[in-house]
Amino acid sequence: MSTVTWITVRGLFGRRRFLLLLPLPVLLVGLAVLSRGLGVAPADWGPPVLVGLGLAVVLPVVALIVGTGVLGAEIDDGTVVHVLTTPLPRWQIVLPKLAVAAGVTAVSVAVPLFAAGLLADSVRLGVALAVAASVGALAYSALFVAASLLTRRPVLLGLVYVLIWEGLLSNVVTGTRVLSIQHYVIALADRLAPTNLLSTTVSVAVAAVMTALIIITATFLSIDRLRSFSVAGETS
Amino acid sequence: MPEPTGVIHDIGYQRYTGPRLGRRHVFGALYLHGVRTAFGLGRSAKAKIFPWLVVGIVLLVAAAVTAIRSQIGEVIMTYAQFADAMSWLVIFFVAVAAPELVSRDLRSGVLPLYFSRPLPHADYPLAKLLALVTALFLLLGAPQLLMFLGGAFTADGMGAVWDELLDLLPGLLYAGLWAVVFASVGLLIASMTGKRAFAAGGIVAVFLMTTPIVGILSVLPSQTANQLAGIASPPTLVQGVGLWTMRDLLVTEDNSADLDLGSFGPVYALVAVALVAGCVALLLARYKKVAAR
Repeated sequence: MSTVTWITVRGLFGRRRFLLLLPLPVLLVGLAVLSRGLGVAPADWGPPVLVGLGLAVVLPVVALIVGTGVLGAEIDDGTVVHVLTTPLPRWQIVLPKLAVAAGVTAVSVAVPLFAAGLLADSVRLGVALAVAASVGALAYSALFVAASLLTRRPVLLGLVYVLIWEGLLSNVVTGTRVLSIQHYVIALADRLAPTNLLSTTVSVAVAAVMTALIIITATFLSIDRLRSFSVAGETS
Repeated sequence: MPEPTGVIHDIGYQRYTGPRLGRRHVFGALYLHGVRTAFGLGRSAKAKIFPWLVVGIVLLVAAAVTAIRSQIGEVIMTYAQFADAMSWLVIFFVAVAAPELVSRDLRSGVLPLYFSRPLPHADYPLAKLLALVTALFLLLGAPQLLMFLGGAFTADGMGAVWDELLDLLPGLLYAGLWAVVFASVGLLIASMTGKRAFAAGGIVAVFLMTTPIVGILSVLPSQTANQLAGIASPPTLVQGVGLWTMRDLLVTEDNSADLDLGSFGPVYALVAVALVAGCVALLLARYKKVAAR
């Protein structure tokens, strides 16, 4: 485990505010248990919990907070200078940080989704959701790490993507789903465990190719941006 | 022993003897500054991007609705429905504006400077809250005014314009309700942290994670739970109050499958009032501590 990984993990977990991430997954499992316990049909509670809460809210919001936290917080504080002045190649800074962000997001989203999927249908759906959510966590993290290097307002930019592009537009203009990580995740999960709980208009091939493309492009973009990074003061 | 050679020069320092504007002016200045901050006025172009992006989208939608209505004669949404349709954008605007209003001051540690003025500790949060409410009301009210102007100029006769106006006024009241509820919840969350990024994320998380709870409660096998489901989330709570007070303006033939309140309309109103009161009380308590430190 490299030092950068270690620093990033400590930066994430060392503060109290990391506890803010807990309520979302707990709520996800809690709602699933509640619905199951009261005997509601999975077809009724599955879509709002699994997709509406799990894949549309918990996954992107956790990825946004963690993904912009691993690098964006250091840029905000100005402590990124200490890492940048070490003789490390830039990819050795970006990749460990990305790995930590994706790992933390994947764990905190995949575990509750597995539980919810298990309660909704079967172990297979649970595993499918967990795997697809982990892939989605990697894609979102790559995107948000790149965003925190492209702009000084990464969280707001990420919110524009999550709220306006994925939340608002892809419900109205179905064509924009081709560029929405949320629908890639749904497509992948539905392919791994075909049920009637998940439905999307994006094909699995498109989803797989686009996810890989986003991960690779965003990672290379981050490495390239960090190569010519200029340290500036607080945004006005 | 040498004589002291130092000289004290009179460089003209004077006490301020002019009129002192009291508490009302401090409050007014904070409020005006708050409204300007919410829209990024008087700040760099970067600070204007996100607020004006939202304003632009909202006005664009209003213009499109007006154009369709005047050309085809089809009413896509009423004035009151406009606020409901824009709920995601309202959430985003709160996530942009609320951290700008309070988190920056916390982060740069200027609160002791504010409270060293003759400013009661309740005035600071109240001025900020009022500013956010005003900004949200403008965000939702301006497009409705645009829709009204479009409707009024295509209407035939003063009677039709008067009818339009009677539709517009409840719509504006409803926008005010949205503004008060969202501003008080959003500002309370933003006042918890000095990091704008975390404040924005927290606001969105709180508003979004409550929506699926409504979805679950409304499929539970209990009619009472179904009818009370909307209380769990701020957008549906406001919607419930709106449905109770002005049902005919919010419900059209297209979306009759919306929230079913049963006989719990007054409960929704009470919860809305309690929510706002609770958030304001917590906000005041939060700034009491800062002021005392």
